[in-house]
Amino acid sequence: MEFRFRKTRRAAVVAVLALPIVLAGCSSGKTDGGDGSKTLTIDKTFDLKTADPGRQYEPTGQLVGKALYQTLVTFNGTDVSKVVPGLATLDQSADAKTFTFTLTGSPKFSDGTALTADDVVFSLKRVIGMKGNPSFLLAGVTVTKKDDKTIVLTTDKPTPALPAILANPALGILNSKVVKAHGGTETAADGAEKYLNQHSAGSGPYVLDSLNLSSKVVLKANKNYTGDKPTYGRVVIQNVEGATQKINVQGGSADVALDLSGPQAKGLSSSVKVTSGPSANVIFLLLNQNKKISKITSNPDFVKAVKSAIDYDDLVTLAGAGTERAAGVIPSALLGALPQADALKSDPAAAKAALAKSGYDGESVTLNFPSDLTLNGLEFPTIAQRIQSQLKAVGIKVDLAPAAVATELDTYREGKEIMGLWYWGPDYPDPSDYLAFTPGDVVGLRAGWAKDADPAVSALVAKAAAGGSEEERQANFEELQKALNESGPFIPLVQPGNNIAAKSSVTNVGYNPVWTLDIATLGSK
Amino acid sequence: MRAPSPAVPGGARPGHPFARYAARRILTSLLLMVGVTFVTFALTNLVPGDPVAAALGQRAADDPATVARFTQEYGLDKPLPQQYVTYVGNLLHGDLGVSTTTHNSVTSDLREALPATIEIAFGAIVLSVIIGVTLGTIAAYRRGRTADHVLRLVSLAGLSVPTFWLALVAYYVLYFKMHLAPSSGRLSADFNAPPQVTGLYTVDSLLAGQLDTFLDAAWHLMLPVLVLTLYTVGLLTRFVRTAVLEVLDQDYVRAARAKGLPTRTIVTSYVLRGASIPVLTVVGLAFGSLLSGTVLVESVFSWPGIGSYAYQAASHLDLPGVMGVGLTIGLIYLLVNLAVDLLYGFLDPRVRLA
Repeated sequence: MEFRFRKTRRAAVVAVLALPIVLAGCSSGKTDGGDGSKTLTIDKTFDLKTADPGRQYEPTGQLVGKALYQTLVTFNGTDVSKVVPGLATLDQSADAKTFTFTLTGSPKFSDGTALTADDVVFSLKRVIGMKGNPSFLLAGVTVTKKDDKTIVLTTDKPTPALPAILANPALGILNSKVVKAHGGTETAADGAEKYLNQHSAGSGPYVLDSLNLSSKVVLKANKNYTGDKPTYGRVVIQNVEGATQKINVQGGSADVALDLSGPQAKGLSSSVKVTSGPSANVIFLLLNQNKKISKITSNPDFVKAVKSAIDYDDLVTLAGAGTERAAGVIPSALLGALPQADALKSDPAAAKAALAKSGYDGESVTLNFPSDLTLNGLEFPTIAQRIQSQLKAVGIKVDLAPAAVATELDTYREGKEIMGLWYWGPDYPDPSDYLAFTPGDVVGLRAGWAKDADPAVSALVAKAAAGGSEEERQANFEELQKALNESGPFIPLVQPGNNIAAKSSVTNVGYNPVWTLDIATLGSK
Repeated sequence: MRAPSPAVPGGARPGHPFARYAARRILTSLLLMVGVTFVTFALTNLVPGDPVAAALGQRAADDPATVARFTQEYGLDKPLPQQYVTYVGNLLHGDLGVSTTTHNSVTSDLREALPATIEIAFGAIVLSVIIGVTLGTIAAYRRGRTADHVLRLVSLAGLSVPTFWLALVAYYVLYFKMHLAPSSGRLSADFNAPPQVTGLYTVDSLLAGQLDTFLDAAWHLMLPVLVLTLYTVGLLTRFVRTAVLEVLDQDYVRAARAKGLPTRTIVTSYVLRGASIPVLTVVGLAFGSLLSGTVLVESVFSWPGIGSYAYQAASHLDLPGVMGVGLTIGLIYLLVNLAVDLLYGFLDPRVRLA
């Protein structure tokens, strides 16, 4: 072994020494930003399916989409509680049914042509018509052009979340002429994806240089970008697993590592700075209310017992750096989040009392969870085991039923789990997305919580869905979540920490729950 | 008057015995391939879980129109037997369907992933054979002596250390601590992939005349090849030792020794030729398994090979992707087995006459 090792090293040294000699007279495959500007290397565990904004709905896709395309409205930095103008300013009707966008400035696409209202109408209609992953974002929305600078979006129902939705990179504005020339349509027959996987057609700070879905995305600065010139002229986003990311960012071959778990983010060398904070994902436990599924979990006293039996602080510690207690189903970064003081409380004595009242007799209860799911570096089996032992302490017997996520999703979505451990990430950073956790709605039904199961909660839902001013919405959603914590079948547990490790030379690093990182705003020192 | 043609011994089949043997083996392989398509299709579709739910987001999967578009696009709305017929029909035209994860044709995905794996697997097998045969022969010749014990220990270590762990440690030590190896991936961040011809970066970069890309690609091959070699060498050394020991006891080897032939001649012309059949079997199997999935090693070194592709396809219930990988791996094993069988026939006349 020693012998071979030395041999490899010698070969390597020879190869390196020979490099400059051999290079003379040969073409080079090396690239840079073109004008000698800096290259930024980002390590990310890929879940990339496409670079076509209208079809992507994965974190890596959002990260890339944000760099390539601009949206009508956007968020400032890491703050997603407030929508700010992007390509356009917004005028919203009081009933939250009519949204008028006026294009500002004179944005240009990367080919130098001007961005017009026609491009906006085409891009949004294309997303609706393609019936792809992000199409639901604009369900029930009608898009019309008023004049060259003005676009009007109307909805049948009050949709106060629409501005927050429109900040999603999936709704980025495309160069309609270019996309149409390459098979783009406003229907499911659209064929522009292949083109958009090789070239971008947007007005964002970067253009797509090359894309390999399984290994690497390379971006170059967009010379026709009308905003501030990005610091890094060339950006390489490469597919790397968490453990390797840690070594890379310390070794210097990566400038930024996006997927370190809490424990991995500890003990990094001093040249690396870690930005930790709670992610916008909420891990929760569900207890099925359907009596046909389980007589035990549908008992309100049993639900109360579980809520008091869980040691929430212990789970926060378990999840590691950056993790925060989830006070309600809405994560802390969003409008409508519940203050920590209103979170559920651990109280073993109360748990035992409620358990006695429920008539529970030591029967085992099954807890289903996705065994291969890792969220922000946190593995679901670890949390499930901890919950099992916490519940055992008050006398509840839990059987763990792990299954691959692709398999378990079915059982979950069909509402057949007795107890389930899952998470919800915001589809868009607006509290309306969390109405899913109410009686008769998507996630509510997964917990066997039928439409008429809890009229008191349903009344609060109607109030929260109606819209209103920011203050009114905050109050309405807080009230709704307090009621959910009191009588709902969901137990919000933690928002696992998000850790971004970057070389200390990279500045302005901040986590945004929608697109993770705004590459164009990163600086250098 | 013509003389009657001499009877063919053993029956009526004319032709060279090796050609007949080869034809028989190739025909069997083709039949096996058809079997592989059926088994892969059946197994893939037996997996519990809904590919629609796995491919679409939570919200999109709740929208009937999006689900309808998806099932129609990927033909999932048709009954299974019909899906199978369509699949095999497309397969005959070299079409493996469209991946639900990458939205690319599976054929083009595999055309990128397979060469990446071939590059490391080929390097590893060549190195392993050279080292394994040498070490195994030495161990057999020094049976019971210190060299034998040491080599046995080394090969046992190579076999029992998990490659995933070995890969991480090798990466940590050689890249991060000693700066002797490059970072993960097939190329440094400064390099773009050479224009695709074969998909092997080392070959393609030379074809494009980009020597710096070639050196960078070769440099990046070092660690994954080293880790895979350590594992395969352990396996080979053990097999070569056993095979050589068996041959050393044969009469013809004793006769050669008695004649006073030099040891080198005995080893190369008598011992290794005699031991080649069992060793070839193991090399074939080892190469097959290297090619068909070094998932964990690929994952540590961010190597976008067929192992990573298989993992990604399986975790997203990407049925066309899984099928494509299954068939490719089946094909690889068949081809490797065929090659090994044909080599048997070539090396040992007894085989082709059987």
